[in-house]
This record gives sequence, C-alpha cells and structure tokens, in this order.
Amino acid sequence: MNPVAGVPSRCDNLRMAGTDDHCPHCGAELRGDSRKGGTRPGGTPGCPYDRLAYAALRAGHDAIYFGAWRRIDAPPLEIRRGYHGIGRHLDAIGRELAGHDLPAAARDLNQAIEAHRTADPREEAPDALRLMDNALSYAHRAIDDLLHEKGLPPHQPMDFAEWYDVVEVPFRDEW
Amino acid sequence: MIDLERYPREVTLRNGVTLVFRPMGRDDVDRLWVFFQQIPPEDKMFFREDVSRREVVQHWADTLDYGLVLPILALEGDRVVGDATLHRQRTGWKQRVGVVRVQIAPDYRHLGLGTAMVRELRHLGEKSALHCLMAEVIEEQAAAVRAFEKMGFVRVATYRNFVNDQRGGLHNLLVLLYRMSSSSDDLNV
Repeated sequence: MNPVAGVPSRCDNLRMAGTDDHCPHCGAELRGDSRKGGTRPGGTPGCPYDRLAYAALRAGHDAIYFGAWRRIDAPPLEIRRGYHGIGRHLDAIGRELAGHDLPAAARDLNQAIEAHRTADPREEAPDALRLMDNALSYAHRAIDDLLHEKGLPPHQPMDFAEWYDVVEVPFRDEW
Repeated sequence: MIDLERYPREVTLRNGVTLVFRPMGRDDVDRLWVFFQQIPPEDKMFFREDVSRREVVQHWADTLDYGLVLPILALEGDRVVGDATLHRQRTGWKQRVGVVRVQIAPDYRHLGLGTAMVRELRHLGEKSALHCLMAEVIEEQAAAVRAFEKMGFVRVATYRNFVNDQRGGLHNLLVLLYRMSSSSDDLNV
C-alpha cells in the first residue's frame, strides 16, 4: 500500500535516496531525494501515527487532505496527483473494509468511489475539485466508521496538521 | 431483527473519556429520568412527551419492545449522558423507515458524542434492513443538524413555522433523510 505517494510530509524527511522504503508506522512512501538528506526512520522523530489504529488509512487521508492539490493556486499536475492519490486511498479503504461487516462504511466508500469517478480531471469535469473533496470526505467517514467499531473517537486531521507543510487548509470543517 | 450482541460496547470520545453504549433496560428508569432532568428547558420544549415526569419514563421501561423502539444509552459509569432511539413500525407503509432521535447531556455536548450516537443508529439501521432513516430536528438545533449531516443525512424538507414549543412559539422543522435502499436513485424526493 502506498497511501501518501507524491504528497509532502515529514516522512519525506526520513527518505533515503534511490529507495522505495515505507514508514513502518503510517505506510508513507519514503521517496528518494538526496538533496534533502534524511536518515532511516530508526532514531528519527517519531511518526505521529505510530501505534494508532488504522494508521496507514489515517496517514493516507491526511496526506491528501493537506495535499497541494487543495491550494487555490494548485497547478493541474498537483490536481491529477491528488486525484490518483484519492484513488489509491479508496482502494486501501476497500481492502480494509473487506474484512468487516460494516454496511454503512461500505456505502460511504461507494459514494466516495462514485464521486471520484465523476471527478476525473482528464474529463474536464467542471466540479472536479468539489467532487474530489466529496470523495475524500466520504472516505474520511468510512475511516471513522472503522474507528467507531473499535470504540475509538473519529480521526481529526487537524491533530496532525503540524506534521505537514500546511499553510492554510481550505474547506476546513468548523465542527 | 437487530443483532444486539455488539452491546455493551465502549466508545471513547475526543476528550479521552470512555463511555458504554448499551440498550436501555427495565432497571434504567431512574438513570434515564435523572438524565432528562439535566436537559435544559429550551430543549425540553421540543419533546413529544413530558419527560420530567418519572411515570413517562417508567411507561417506556414497562413497554420496552426493541422491535419498535430501540433506545441506546450512553453511560459514564452509572450515569446516562446520552440517549439515542431508533423507532420502527412492523407493518404498514413506513415499515422500512426508521425514525431516529438523539439527546445529549449538556456537559457532554461538543465532544463528538452526538455524532457517535448518530453513527451507532446508522449502523443499526443498516443492519435492520431499513430503506431510510429519518430525523426531525428543530432548525435552531444547529449542532444536531450538523451531526446528522456529517453522517450523511440530507435535508429534504423544511416546514416553516410548523411546530410549537410548550410556550406556543412556532419553529421551523427540518426533515433529514439517510437513504439505505439499493435503489436510492429512484427515491429522490
């Protein structure tokens, strides 16, 4: 699983040049870029998702939620990256839900998939950004359904905002 | 038939407090009555029954039938801090429609408990072969409206100056629906 490929996070600071390692906690891809340096995860600042339930799904969501595609001035390339990131994220949620009997979560995932399909930027969908945001919102709800089944509180992306290079978060929930 | 084997179950709120969700039992009368006594008068104005009277709560306990009304309580220790109910009909034209109601103790609001209880009702609705869940909320109850919308409920109607409080004042009633039917596309209002 590669929930956060292409999206900057502090896990990028841990990456090794020329490797395709993943963070052992959140599953983030540690992509190579020798210019920015970095060391292996061991001995580095801890991943904020370490020991959290569904860490990879949470991290995958947040990497997209705080992704460059949501900036007002996002170039088309970032929007397409965001679109494909959402697709991979939905796949990951689908794999997790396959092991659960949670029809409400499955319904949310289906709505996310439908919104994502309709949003395909290649088709120049006029509402692509809104539909991508809807897809991510439905995905978030499915993750929260999984957490609820474990008796855990909903995932709060803003609790992890510091981990990302966030200048501002558009569409921020007020609740 | 709803599978109740999932209860009791623990649910942790955003502030770290862990509550227990479980169906109301016949010996919960006093706990629930105390809970309703904590509800502010402005919220009680919109109740269908006078829950400040113990005999009203006693009657609910005496006539418990989870197939018709399934009350899920949220308890912190021995104290009820939330009450969510799923109302159903066994026959008739609304037998696939569940009506949901949620009430939260004042000191447990804004902690995600309302959303958690709506999520629980949504799960129960999905598991009981209902086609639709319906919530009726006074428009001023903004937090409740947000909790339902967050869980996928959609506003389908607003009845202007439709319901009166216990002082005679009129209020707008919002109707929110959560559709579960596989043929939901055919059910557009």
